[in-house]
Amino acid sequence: MIVPYALEISVVCVGIFLLMVDAFLKTDKTTIAWTGVVVLLAIFGLTFALGPMPKGVIPEAFYVLDPTALFFKRFLLLATVLTLILSIDYSPVYQKFVPAAVPQAGLGEFFTLPVFACAGMMFMVSANDFIMIFVALELVTITFYVLVASMRKNQGSLEAGVKYLILGALSTGFLVYGITWLYGITGYTSLDGIQSVLPRVPEQYQPSVLFGLGLVLVALGFKVAAVPFQFWVPDVYQGAPTPVTAYLSVASKAAGFVVLLRVLEPFVTTPTFQVKVFGILTILAAVTLILGNLAAMSQQNLKRLLAYSSIAHAGYLLVAVASLSAPGAKVAIGFYLGGYLLMTFLAFLVLLNVAKVSGGDDIRDFNGLGKRSPVLALALLISMLSLAGLPFTIGFLGKFFIFEAALASGQYVLVVLGAITVACGFYYYLKVVMAMYWQPPAPSATNIQVSPFGQFLIALLVLAIIIFGIFPQPILGALTHL
Amino acid sequence: MEVALFWIFAALMLGFGAAVIFLKSPVSSALSLVVSFLGLAALFLLLDAFFIGIIQVLVYAGAVMVLFLFIIMLLDLKTERARKINLPAMIGGLMVVVGFVALLVKLLPSFDIAKPALARPVNDVASVGMLLFSDYNLPFQVIGVLLLVATVGVVLLSRKELK
Repeated sequence: MIVPYALEISVVCVGIFLLMVDAFLKTDKTTIAWTGVVVLLAIFGLTFALGPMPKGVIPEAFYVLDPTALFFKRFLLLATVLTLILSIDYSPVYQKFVPAAVPQAGLGEFFTLPVFACAGMMFMVSANDFIMIFVALELVTITFYVLVASMRKNQGSLEAGVKYLILGALSTGFLVYGITWLYGITGYTSLDGIQSVLPRVPEQYQPSVLFGLGLVLVALGFKVAAVPFQFWVPDVYQGAPTPVTAYLSVASKAAGFVVLLRVLEPFVTTPTFQVKVFGILTILAAVTLILGNLAAMSQQNLKRLLAYSSIAHAGYLLVAVASLSAPGAKVAIGFYLGGYLLMTFLAFLVLLNVAKVSGGDDIRDFNGLGKRSPVLALALLISMLSLAGLPFTIGFLGKFFIFEAALASGQYVLVVLGAITVACGFYYYLKVVMAMYWQPPAPSATNIQVSPFGQFLIALLVLAIIIFGIFPQPILGALTHL
Repeated sequence: MEVALFWIFAALMLGFGAAVIFLKSPVSSALSLVVSFLGLAALFLLLDAFFIGIIQVLVYAGAVMVLFLFIIMLLDLKTERARKINLPAMIGGLMVVVGFVALLVKLLPSFDIAKPALARPVNDVASVGMLLFSDYNLPFQVIGVLLLVATVGVVLLSRKELK
């Protein structure tokens, strides 16, 4: 019989194998990334051979392999593959900012660390115990600290690394402290154990349980970039190497939301805590929606704009989390994150290719992109429209399912707020589109060539955004058992 | 007796913890942190958590802090210059701290402190090891991967010129 966590073991082995290849490979280091892409795609295929396992079958107390875990493992593998492909495109820029004695030094680590982060996040989405959650979360976060700061000759990258490290360490402190409170009262670190004890918690201890959960929520809010724990997001997203930014905003957020769902599960199903927990979540969702969208409107740098947009999207996802009492909420979250993966990676792929030629990622560097490179401009147009939520794109359906779930659970205030903030969203996403099509290109601007594989990937992502925006059934089908 | 010791060590820990922040010279800050860790270790001992207490002394007060001191001296860090106080940040920080302490003060009286906390104390190296390699094997293995990543990361971030 296969061990349930065979997938994670194979991803870790891939990482170690790539490290060894890096040590002995003398020629082109991009081979490492391509090997990673191929092997991770093979593991992606293997996930379909491995069905979800019921709890009794798995002897480990820390690990579940339910349909949610399996869906997000596939999601994370895809996100890692896309990150590696982006990293290959980015490697000329990366090399400029790494102190190297030989050409291509440091690239091996740059291609390998995302694989370890992927293993950590795959553990995260299966973690069923606070100890496992903590350990997996630390594996992921420490990998990201290194990745964010790894362009050592770039001040922005170093600044981002330091900010991320300090605030990340603080949030870890909150997580551990929250876990000790919950453990102290319930006597369990496993979520199943907490679930079994919660209905019997005497009234005098109930505020303490909420206090512990609140501390855990602070830490998870930090991970998914919810307001008021979003301070690190703009600087870190702007300073980090672009593929790492994309990876951070998609994969790390998704894994954070899965952990959030698992941790909340015992609390939202226990009547004594239900109302208060939903109250906290509603407030969190509302402020995240408002602040994320409003702050994005004044941004002049596309990476920063995407950072605030990432906060805003966390807000929409939190609307769904605050509506967990509706049956469709979990499916809506899965679908929204799936769409978010496609459109965010498309946006960063275009951003990366334009920034490589223009030398900057301000919005004015995109002036006249419609003339300089019609293909890239069209791709970015579709990505922006989908992020804004125009009908016939996957972004629209994602928001539609979330608002549907919110209506079903009676979160009318959040739905109204969501509708208003979507309108704000159109303003700042269309600002980028205006720059591309209505502004003249800078006199020094040149046309942009994209590699054939890059073109293929862009076409694939564009098609996926539109096709799943009209026929969402394949993704919904994968999500029906959530 | 125990209560008196508790207060002495708690005061020691908090006092030197504050000194870490307020002292200007990095070396004195690091040394204050050592004393603060020792106070914490003594608190663990008072709670009958001998293993954690000893590890606290060996690992934190011993190994980690010695490394800290080495690095501070190697880098030859100068005394911190007085910074201008950022008033909004100060007020914001104070509000968080006051709110946090107020919550603790409100919550802590609901606990019956006289009750023994640990049902199954794990106090010797052998039983901790047994637990790590049996019940907690999976998270323990994940920590192994974490250490590998940390090693790779340190090399990537600290080597003068990458090869």
